[in-house]
Amino acid sequence: MSESLGMLDIFALLANGIGFTVLVTVTCSLTAMLVGLLIAGTRRLGFRAMNPFLDVYTYVFRGIPVLVLLFMVYFGLPGIGIKVPPLMAMALSLGLISGAYLAEVFRGALNAVDPAELLAAESMGMSRLQIFRYIEFPQMLRFSLPGMVNEFTSVLKYSPFAYTVGIPEITKQAIALTATTLRGTEIYFAVGVLYFAIFKILLMAVKFIERRYCAPDMLAS
Amino acid sequence: MSDWSIFRDDLIEQMPLILGGLGKTLELTAIISLTGFLLGIVVFYLSLSPSRFVRSIIRGYISFFIGMPLIVLLFLIYYGMPQWGISLSPFTVAVLGFTFNVAAYNAAYLTTAHNGLDPVEAEAARAQGFNRLQIFKLITLPQVLRLSIPALTNQVICNLKDSSVAFLIQYTEFFARMQEVAATNFQFFKAYFFSALVYLALVSLIVLASRALERRYILPT
Amino acid sequence: MPLISVHNLVKEFSGQRVLNGINLEVYEGDLKVVMGPSGCGKSTLLRCLNRLIEPTSGTIHFRGQDITGADVDIRALRQSIGFVFQQFALYRHLSVLDNVTLALLKLRGMSKAEAEEKALHELNRLGIATHRDKYPSQISGGQKQRVALARALAMDPVVIFFDEPTSALDPVMSREVADLINQMRAENVTMLCVTHDLRLARQISDRVVFLDEGVVKAEDTIDHLCNAHSDSKINDFFSSGVRGQ
Repeated sequence: MSESLGMLDIFALLANGIGFTVLVTVTCSLTAMLVGLLIAGTRRLGFRAMNPFLDVYTYVFRGIPVLVLLFMVYFGLPGIGIKVPPLMAMALSLGLISGAYLAEVFRGALNAVDPAELLAAESMGMSRLQIFRYIEFPQMLRFSLPGMVNEFTSVLKYSPFAYTVGIPEITKQAIALTATTLRGTEIYFAVGVLYFAIFKILLMAVKFIERRYCAPDMLAS
Repeated sequence: MSDWSIFRDDLIEQMPLILGGLGKTLELTAIISLTGFLLGIVVFYLSLSPSRFVRSIIRGYISFFIGMPLIVLLFLIYYGMPQWGISLSPFTVAVLGFTFNVAAYNAAYLTTAHNGLDPVEAEAARAQGFNRLQIFKLITLPQVLRLSIPALTNQVICNLKDSSVAFLIQYTEFFARMQEVAATNFQFFKAYFFSALVYLALVSLIVLASRALERRYILPT
Repeated sequence: MPLISVHNLVKEFSGQRVLNGINLEVYEGDLKVVMGPSGCGKSTLLRCLNRLIEPTSGTIHFRGQDITGADVDIRALRQSIGFVFQQFALYRHLSVLDNVTLALLKLRGMSKAEAEEKALHELNRLGIATHRDKYPSQISGGQKQRVALARALAMDPVVIFFDEPTSALDPVMSREVADLINQMRAENVTMLCVTHDLRLARQISDRVVFLDEGVVKAEDTIDHLCNAHSDSKINDFFSSGVRGQ
């Protein structure tokens, strides 16, 4: 047990993992955004034949634990001849699951768009795609901001699973550090503080974007 | 196809262990859903305290446990406690960690529902001479609980899925048992796929149960 | 030749005849006011004219061309008709100025500078250019209606439709809208206004078309219609309006 290891040293050692934690979180969040937008957009633009598939997707991916899907992708797929790198495995598990949740958030936000505004756009002579692009989409993004923040936070909180596939993010550093120093309390407390700090920074960034781009009555909080 | 029959044979052979693991998964889910629910109500009650000090403590509690990844919290207790001479079983650690975490979420849902209530009713009750605890028990809580049924049952689904995390602290629940099955025959994909199906089936059962509950108890609006 | 000529227009919704053979003509420079009790089909008529609703049968000639056919460029038709809705329907996520420029930029393909100049011209004309950077939630109902009108005018429409323009407004603001319509009339803008607000009708026109049960029941001066008309429906509608004043 190294008695000389202070709290600051612990933070310094853990900090090596921050970059990877952020990388995992951002990669999975972007995947989720892409999937969520695709699903919500397809549903909204009325490709009726697709709806059953979308329903199944959102139901299934919201019903499977992240860890189970992650293991299925990372440890299971090589067995049937598909090798997936760690970060991609995170995107294909956490990202796809989160995308299913985001799709529901977007669906709710699209339902909040005033039908009268859509009618106004239609009577102006806009095509269906133009209405989606200029009216529904921008409003959807603003309405779904609170739900999106929730979802990104949730992605951040599931990002420690990345250690199980060997990504050297914060939790992985903590496990290594605990194994050599046996000071789990300070180390995991410090880990908690780090996640909390990342969470707060994320929140501040969102508030900044919100203040910049939102129409007054559409503020999230 | 022989792959499948090997997998099936192993599955049948290890069925007692798997079912035992499934029992533990359900047990953990049930316990943390209950304790998280009860502690959540206590936290929510305290969040309505007239004392500013109590309220700020509670705010801190909620944001700390919502901001901290569950797995980090479990590691904090699991690897941190022995440092103080306290050795807890994986089950105890899981119950403790989940309870704090789930209670914070449930308290947040109840608070959201409470924000939507008409304060006039509590005022009317005060005018009739009810004390604070009576108002909470007779007026506030019944309404808030009914309004939160969707969020609370959703949390139970999350609890079930998240209980798979407990295997990372060596709790031998369902997912841990399925890994053992995979390890004996190296059919990882099938084992994880089967796990996913089981979780999906259990989630579906909870969804059906919660729909019945909602139909029965939700307040007409 | 009339600008719009409607002949025997029928619209059925699941077997129910909402429009039952409408005949109507609007000439250039006209201000046509269509009145009637709620459910008489006024809004449906308006929406048939720019094909937001597909008519069941009958013809609509717009500048001499039948626009009920399948080969008609509906989006071009709609761009030449300004539509002002009862709930204003301003785009919440856009400022006043952007509400007006959107169609100019995306449908007319104007440059940003051109579009803004045109939009500001219309906003000035209606006296709300000072609110250009505000959002719909930050202005009053009367101001919203001005923005909605500016948004329609910016496209240089051949005709402007008003759908119950005062139903979401208090009497003072309704007066503002009436003044606005009169201002447009003085500038020779062709307008078709659907309303059940008798006060508004009196302020902007002395003649109205009375629609009931999907047909044009009468086209006459308001004074005639108000004075103990032989048709009991007309009598009920206009006398209640008089009492209401």
